[in-house]
Amino acid sequence: MRTGVVALTLAVLALAPVRAAHAQISFDARRLGMGGVSLGRDGNASRYNPAYRAVKNRSGLGTGAPKVTIPIPIGLYSFFRDHPIGQLTHDPAFNPDSAAFNPVELLNLILNPPLFLELRKPPAPTNNVEFTIGKNQLIMNLGQTRVLIPDGSFGMGTSGRLLDLGAGFGAFHVSVMGFVHYDLSFTLDSALRSVLKDTIPVRPDSSYFILTDAVAQTGLTPTISYSARVWHPAALEPAAGGANGAPSADQNADDGVYLGAAAHYYFGATYARGVGPAGFTVGNPIFGASPNVLFDGLVHTSNKPNGHGIGADVGIAWITGPFEVGVGANDIGAQLTWSDTKVQRILYDPNGDSISTTLLANHVESTTKLPISYIANAALRMGTGTTVGGDVFNAGRGTVIHLGAEQRWGLFAARGGVARDQRKKLQFGFGGGLRFGGFGLDVGVWTSSGTLAEQRTMTMATSISVY
Amino acid sequence: MKALAATLLILVAACGQGKAIFNVDVYSFMAGTGKDTIPYAIPPASSASASTFQKVQLPPGFGGSIVDSVRITVGGANLINSGGTGSLGFSFFFATDSAGTLSSPSALDIPATSVSGSNTVPVTISGDLSPAVHGLFSQDTLWMRIVATGTNSGVTPVTGKGALTALVIRVVLQDKIL
Repeated sequence: MRTGVVALTLAVLALAPVRAAHAQISFDARRLGMGGVSLGRDGNASRYNPAYRAVKNRSGLGTGAPKVTIPIPIGLYSFFRDHPIGQLTHDPAFNPDSAAFNPVELLNLILNPPLFLELRKPPAPTNNVEFTIGKNQLIMNLGQTRVLIPDGSFGMGTSGRLLDLGAGFGAFHVSVMGFVHYDLSFTLDSALRSVLKDTIPVRPDSSYFILTDAVAQTGLTPTISYSARVWHPAALEPAAGGANGAPSADQNADDGVYLGAAAHYYFGATYARGVGPAGFTVGNPIFGASPNVLFDGLVHTSNKPNGHGIGADVGIAWITGPFEVGVGANDIGAQLTWSDTKVQRILYDPNGDSISTTLLANHVESTTKLPISYIANAALRMGTGTTVGGDVFNAGRGTVIHLGAEQRWGLFAARGGVARDQRKKLQFGFGGGLRFGGFGLDVGVWTSSGTLAEQRTMTMATSISVY
Repeated sequence: MKALAATLLILVAACGQGKAIFNVDVYSFMAGTGKDTIPYAIPPASSASASTFQKVQLPPGFGGSIVDSVRITVGGANLINSGGTGSLGFSFFFATDSAGTLSSPSALDIPATSVSGSNTVPVTISGDLSPAVHGLFSQDTLWMRIVATGTNSGVTPVTGKGALTALVIRVVLQDKIL
């Protein structure tokens, strides 16, 4: 039993980054060209607002949403031109024995596959780094790279859902979903930040460390959900409708107020959390003796797949003619109680140059929370072919705001948008498209800022849409 | 040292293309140990030399790096002469172990400076080390031998000591690490 659950959850965990990335980094050139906003009713709206599950995502109608979007990975052409596929094993960029090998760039490549064409690559820091070393002196001058030293916490994480196996009857839907949540956070202690960012000399008899807080949990959640249109203007005002109760020209077939809610019972399969500092402690004088490794972490892990908890999703959407607005939140009050966990202390012993593990408590109860995810979106479809919209979105690691617009002239479309990313930096997007019957070709260009870069990159995506 | 080295390596790696520069204040490790002083006693009409050895520790992990340059950027010594007239120069030798410094060619020679009577003469030490020893500085440990060589053309012995006052070696590496 346990093996099966763990195997399943490991599969969930392995697939989670793909889903998480897809949720926030769309492959739809239309969306990217509008700064990331989705004017349709797909994507984040239906994922994070259960009310939208009752709204028909009408292809090709006012929403302009395609049935299928197929990304064209033009970035791969550029990548394989620079890195011929037949020579990858000898490529200096991937060969640790090569002077051109840079592990940071390799990690960046893994985290950001080159599917899109980079029009403006992030400038690689090319400055020199300088270390001054004396018996009682250590100064690190990272040059221009100092601007990359974060002032606050940094890391990565997401809360996502996979699978959704179930069946519906009427407004109700019963399903089983997989959930996964991971969050990896690092915080430089103030002394280390000063050493790295402000070129402050290392002080004798001092510790310098990074505080790490990492949590990962996954499992399954049986869910019962409800989503329906609870108010329809034609139902209350039949005179306003057309013949046979059909909506009139100034009415939209989707008009109304939609409500959605879902109740989850979480079965946690596995959970781990590690908290503690990692760094080094220098003596007096600084190089009088070897600096000691500082590693002292508390690790909580589940002994059995027995996390339990409840949580809920709620959402509301209002559509009236060309205007619609929605608000949704997920995993409200989602707290899991793990009844059988252990707490271990992992400590580096400088005397023995070894790591010791001490069991502090076993078969104890621990609790975890899933972060609340939310989205608020609005869109206005003007009669002149103009659609404007925006959303405020948070998947547990900071709020992202998107604002965008699309203007259509027959076969042609122009798009633009602006976003405030999780690091509170403004990003921009623009693009256009051509539509031929049931097919469309779209191009989107947008800017983004990586964790280890201050300057924006500019990337272009292309996709084919089937309407 | 491992933790510190790991930190330095990560920093260097994260900084992308560029050079890693280490300014190693060798004198700070020698001061107060007696190794910063080289006594000399040169008989009349002859020459003689005396040495001091010092182990130099560098951050490990740069074994595959290409050393661009090694230079003594800040260096100085006082020739504290107590008697006699002659001249003294310094030579620097580097090797992977202390014995190797006895047979390796000199990496840097400082021209001889004249001394006379009871007097203190400052000497400036600076210059690029021979490319032949560059490879040693990609390792985490190497040995340095400083040799004071004196000549005495007079009729009384030349005695005194050479005392280092500063010695900073600047190592510039292309950031090929790990």
